[in-house]
Amino acid sequence: MPPRRIEHEGDSDSDLDIFEDFDSGAKSKGKGKGKAIDRGKKDKGKGKAKEQPYAWEASYTRSWDTVQEDEAGSLQGAVEDLIARGRRRRLLAPAAAIRRTIIRHLVLLLDLSSAMMDRDMRPTRFDLMLQYAREFITEWFDQNPLGQIGIVGMRAGIGERLGGMSGNPQEVLKTISERHKLEPTGEPSLQNAIEMARASMSHLPTHSSREIIVIFGSLTTCDPGNIHEALAECVKDRIRISVVALAAEMKICRELCDKTGGQFGVALNEGHFKDLLFELIPPPAQRALPSGPNARSAGTAPADLMLMGFPTRLPDTSPPSLCVCHSQLKSEGFLCPRCGAKVCDVPTDCDICGLMIVSSPHLARSYHHLFPVKTYQAVTTLDNMPNPSKMCHACARPFKYAPQSMAGASGEGMSHLGRYRCPDCQNDFCGECDVFVHDVVHCCPGCGR
Amino acid sequence: MDRSSHLSVVVDLSPTHWYLSSTRSQQNSRPLSLKSFLSQLLVFLNSHIACKDENTLAVFGVLPGRSVMLFSSLSEISGNPLDAADADTYRPFKVLDGTVMRTIAEHVENLGPSDLEKPVELVGALTKSLCYINRITATSSAQSAEQTASLDPRILILSVSPDQSSSYIPIMNSIFSAQKLRVTIDVCKVYGSESVFLQQAAHLTGGSYLHLERADALLQYLTMSFLPPPGIRQLLSVPTQDKVDFRAACFCHKRIVDIGFVCSVCLSIFCQPVPVCSTCRTKFPIKTLQRLNAARPPITIPAVAASPSVTSLPSSHTIRAGHINGSQPVAPNGLR
Repeated sequence: MPPRRIEHEGDSDSDLDIFEDFDSGAKSKGKGKGKAIDRGKKDKGKGKAKEQPYAWEASYTRSWDTVQEDEAGSLQGAVEDLIARGRRRRLLAPAAAIRRTIIRHLVLLLDLSSAMMDRDMRPTRFDLMLQYAREFITEWFDQNPLGQIGIVGMRAGIGERLGGMSGNPQEVLKTISERHKLEPTGEPSLQNAIEMARASMSHLPTHSSREIIVIFGSLTTCDPGNIHEALAECVKDRIRISVVALAAEMKICRELCDKTGGQFGVALNEGHFKDLLFELIPPPAQRALPSGPNARSAGTAPADLMLMGFPTRLPDTSPPSLCVCHSQLKSEGFLCPRCGAKVCDVPTDCDICGLMIVSSPHLARSYHHLFPVKTYQAVTTLDNMPNPSKMCHACARPFKYAPQSMAGASGEGMSHLGRYRCPDCQNDFCGECDVFVHDVVHCCPGCGR
Repeated sequence: MDRSSHLSVVVDLSPTHWYLSSTRSQQNSRPLSLKSFLSQLLVFLNSHIACKDENTLAVFGVLPGRSVMLFSSLSEISGNPLDAADADTYRPFKVLDGTVMRTIAEHVENLGPSDLEKPVELVGALTKSLCYINRITATSSAQSAEQTASLDPRILILSVSPDQSSSYIPIMNSIFSAQKLRVTIDVCKVYGSESVFLQQAAHLTGGSYLHLERADALLQYLTMSFLPPPGIRQLLSVPTQDKVDFRAACFCHKRIVDIGFVCSVCLSIFCQPVPVCSTCRTKFPIKTLQRLNAARPPITIPAVAASPSVTSLPSSHTIRAGHINGSQPVAPNGLR
């Protein structure tokens, strides 16, 4: 396939992403102009997938029907509104579970069978999978800095190790960077691939999580033995299997996920595929209830207290000395806090005293999962406030006093006034800062924590 | 190279520490008063906006228990009495100087005696400046992607007060968001001991951390190291950090630890073996506790100081850790 075509197709996909929610409204109402936005809003969250057409039955998207001009004939307001809603929706996800597995080990099983050449997802299932897998890996490492990813391909009836367990995102990305080496052929074998993934995780300590994520496009699996035995082994090893199917639901895939406490989903179209995959990025919450249905398999992984050292980093200008890991003369490095040995890179285990050395930023990157910022409440009226603040507490952007004439009315956590209030410090923030604080900073500027 | 840049300055205005800084003592042979600090700072700010016409500036003040925006070049304050035309001064300088001094005076006067006890709100000012940078980069990206790249935003923290271990997590969160926004954080420690958290901030975002040896030469340090934007700084030899301390604060007593005990579920750090994780309420097996108690590093327990292993520790660590422990109030249940 010529590369030009791929790029072109890719562009049209990204358009589709933005308006996907509103398309659903437009579809179900025919040419319901204007009302489309209301409609799209109601189908938000989980329900939206149901309303969307399958990728193969979509003819073309009428994205122009979903935007509405304002009084002055400008589209800017409508577009801003769409973007704000899309961002806001992500925020409303529940942030309750506090117990999460943070040291994660993941094997990504990529289906490289001939079924992946289907074009029901544009440009092909295979290209889309590679593209999303790259984005997935980048985002996954961002949120799970202490995690490791290995990649196994399923092709021509065997499991093929594409890359070993690695904690370095660049290394993992490199293993799937060469498309021509991954060209799909033959039948996939779930059993072989799962066995291979299981074997590569067998040496891991008990307190780290073991996960397998399967991206599966085929409707068959070609196994040498009984796949239920492999499943039983996974349950025993507490391996959590999640499957994102691209074609249809298969009984065995559903069973793999249900028995091991993973998630199963069938992608309806490109956007939904990405949603399903990216839902697997945040560390899985461990259920604190020991009596839960999955308690044995996924609920209570044995926890342990680990001894960790926080090293001192030597600068480039320090006098060179030998490192303990490669015996090379280097000036930069990290000093083990217990024995003072110099290692090249962290996180690692000290070669001399065996202490686990991590830099505290590595740990700290995960903390926002544990201490989420409280959701800000939308301010809908200024009546019972004596003197409302004139500008956003964070970015000092002045608030609009006249309620915006939004097409989509209030509710759903949107504020007419563009004001969102922190329940703790009672300061008002603008919509943009609200999203930024909860998505990126994870720290309320008013409370300072 | 010749691009406009945005600078957010976070000024630590803790009255207690400025008083200490301005009094002459044994450790502090070259006192620097707040007044002379501000006049040098204003010169620096003026030179930033004078460097290029499009340069933007925001100034945030850190006060005990609150953080305030002192000046922003976006919100031109009209009807300012200081605004009267003056043939001798460049108008933007005058607006800047007047606004900064006036707002500082206002906010310092508003401080009540009870406020003085509170710790300074560095995190608030840092997150505000990030939100502000997010705001200006987001709006300019709507116009053109090229402009965002040219903004080259950075934050300069002028700190006088010591680290508060309770703000460890929020500070780290701000650092990571700065990384995401590609914001450089520069730190200038004007007075007081080295700040572990701010060292990490500068290191992780590619900024420079400077601990002033001669506080009275502040302006020279500021103009030589912090005035050039990061792009140009690669060509100059800006002072680098000789050592970065990657120690973290424990969750139980907010002490800064070298070797910690970490919960495998939530990565909470403790300074001593605990039977139950205070964050995620995970129970740890008795066996590990016993093993870890045996292997426990001597720093955390002065009672066992007689054990021979203590001599193997670098003495500076013990002293430093002891100093930090001593200066921090030990809260029994410090987590939130």
